[in-house]
Amino acid sequence: MSQHYPTLLVTVPLLAAFIISAAGWINKRLCFPFAVATLTVAAYSCVGLLFRVLHEGVVHYRLGGWPPPWGIAYYVDQLNGLVLSVISVSALINLIASKRSIEREFPEKIGPFYTLYVLFVTGMLGITVTGDAFNLYVLLEIGSLTGYALIAMGDKDRAPLASLNYLYMGTIGACFYLLGVGYLYIVTGSLNMVDIASILPGLYQSKAVMTAFIICMVGMWIKMAFFPLHGWLPNAYTFAPSASSSLIAPLMTKVMIYVMIRFILTVFTPKFAFSTLAVSDSVVWLAVIAIVMGAIFALAQRDLKKMLTYIIVAEVGYMVGGAWLGNRAGMTGAILHIVNDALMTLCAFLVVGNIVYKVKGYSFEDLKGLFSKMPFTMGAFVIGALSIIGVPPTCGFFSKWYLISGAIQASHYGFVVALLFSSLVNVVLFFRIIEIGYYEPFGDHHGHDHHPEPMAEAPLSMLVPLFIVAAGLVLVGLYTGDIVNHIIQFVIPKGLL
Amino acid sequence: MKITGLIIAVLTGALLIYATADFPAWGDPASPASTHVSPRYIEKTIEETAVPNMVTSVLADYRGYDTMFETTVIFSAGVACFLLLRIFRREEPEERLYRHVLTGVTIHVKKGGKLPPSDDFERIDTEWTPHDLIIKTMCRLLIPFIQLFALYVIAHGHHSPGGGFQGGVMLGASVIVLAMSQDLRTAVRRLREKVDALLCATGVFIYAGTGALCLLLGADFLNYRALAPLLNVDPIMARSHGIFIVEIGVGIAVMATMIWIYSNVSSSGKYDEGL
Repeated sequence: MSQHYPTLLVTVPLLAAFIISAAGWINKRLCFPFAVATLTVAAYSCVGLLFRVLHEGVVHYRLGGWPPPWGIAYYVDQLNGLVLSVISVSALINLIASKRSIEREFPEKIGPFYTLYVLFVTGMLGITVTGDAFNLYVLLEIGSLTGYALIAMGDKDRAPLASLNYLYMGTIGACFYLLGVGYLYIVTGSLNMVDIASILPGLYQSKAVMTAFIICMVGMWIKMAFFPLHGWLPNAYTFAPSASSSLIAPLMTKVMIYVMIRFILTVFTPKFAFSTLAVSDSVVWLAVIAIVMGAIFALAQRDLKKMLTYIIVAEVGYMVGGAWLGNRAGMTGAILHIVNDALMTLCAFLVVGNIVYKVKGYSFEDLKGLFSKMPFTMGAFVIGALSIIGVPPTCGFFSKWYLISGAIQASHYGFVVALLFSSLVNVVLFFRIIEIGYYEPFGDHHGHDHHPEPMAEAPLSMLVPLFIVAAGLVLVGLYTGDIVNHIIQFVIPKGLL
Repeated sequence: MKITGLIIAVLTGALLIYATADFPAWGDPASPASTHVSPRYIEKTIEETAVPNMVTSVLADYRGYDTMFETTVIFSAGVACFLLLRIFRREEPEERLYRHVLTGVTIHVKKGGKLPPSDDFERIDTEWTPHDLIIKTMCRLLIPFIQLFALYVIAHGHHSPGGGFQGGVMLGASVIVLAMSQDLRTAVRRLREKVDALLCATGVFIYAGTGALCLLLGADFLNYRALAPLLNVDPIMARSHGIFIVEIGVGIAVMATMIWIYSNVSSSGKYDEGL
């Protein structure tokens, strides 16, 4: 079966989604085990595929048996393999961790919720694995549509509006991408990424190709919430139910960054993106603004979840900036940060999920005394926070290191300053929360009769996945060298120094 | 804000128009779009798939994988509507209306009140609904023909414009017409919510399941050639039959989703009174 991994990792969740949907009408208790089994198979296929790619090089797969460019083909290289593994593993971990909160929040609608959950993961995996520009768009539709529904299930008063906003922005973004692909089709006659890449070099001077590139990029920037196109993200992720926000926040933006890097590296070559177009410097400056503004907005927030969403906006700036620095170190940092940021965001949002499950709120007020109430959750939170700040040996340090050295190599000191500034702001942000959680409430009682609050920790089914992610943050940090030398190094074309 | 929006829209439009300068000429037979991949679709579709309608063969075979996900998009829309709108807690309405069938007299029944069980009364929607004989009769006459034509459209997609999406929409419309001319309860009695939801999943499952079956028979996903021994035809004809199987799946999924979305949206998830 291993030669079919590329298609299994998409079609197994797809088929399972229909079965889960039917099971929701027959026996609700079947949905969860089925979803777990499905995502386990998907994760197994993804990791298996990654190892196969590491041993054998690029894996090709033809859908329907038609040779490309006539049919749709999958190309899996180290970059896809890595991102696929991250997506499937984090979706699986989050599924297990969110079981309790899903059962509590939507007891009657477990079936459709898990159906959309699995379909969302199918969409994300499909976007990442495909080698066809139009197939990518179709999967993007699935990922977005299910995402809107999963988000709108949150806070009764505010989530539907936030989701509607996201729907408008997301639709515009997807339209831009589709328009760009349409322009490419008009001038090349092909939808296959590798085929387009082989036709394009003769057309680099064409205005249509240039416009196609710009529109595609803007579309992706909207979908990944790159400042100033981030307007939809904070509310959508804040008011979503915990299970959805910890699924969508780590995956959606990161997958779109993968798509951007794929377009820069494979479809349009780095030569076209960085030299012919001469916009890379301005994009990096945009990224600088994104990082600074994301950090400032995060400082202004008075609740944990919204603060994290603005940190995501800043992190998107890291990755876009790193990718557009136009050198090897910057690109390595951006790709490494896709993995790291997915794990860090997952860790942070799982912590929020646990807090919401127990305390039923996530504003700074609700965090008082949490270290004595939920010591294990907050322990994992500290690891996540250290990683987002960028303290070794957590993984956040290493990607930031590559990004900064890339910026220095490109003599782009604005980006260096922005990265350092945002790290400092993150220190302030997280230590403020640790302070509230550890030292407050104080001042109410004088003397020594102050008793710590009794422990009320989240159930084990939520804690264990959280610990796995927190341990993952450290492990990925320790094995950064291997990831870079065995995986990322092969992704970046030799010409990019 | 409005001015900024206008400026952005004008600039984007200008960029898009500017880019058309380098497009191939209108209708140019030598343009990349007509010389690169399309000739194979146009010249070889009979030879390779035994389907005369090349739109169908591109849609359901050459790029059948995309179409499978397009059907999934429709399925997701149905599930999303259900997830967001459906309200299970059944609250008894303030007032129910019944019509005496023979005389046309409307009876208001207050909350908690009951009517003696009898066939003389029919429940009607709380918004005033006249007893409209012409519309009801006409729709009753039309519905079978709509459905028959829908089946033709699905089955004849190989030869003429049509296929699963179009036929499925018509099938769905026939039930929606019933719900509009009578009321939602009548339509739901004909096609229960659970059955509809299961049909919705079954339709897409037929499509993806066909693909998986090819995989199990040792070929690539959705490579209908592998179905040849099962269908007892040659591999080329198997492609044509494979397309037909997935078109049926698409038809079922689209029909069920249309009805599902209509019922949820028109009754705001309560499934009692529709438009």
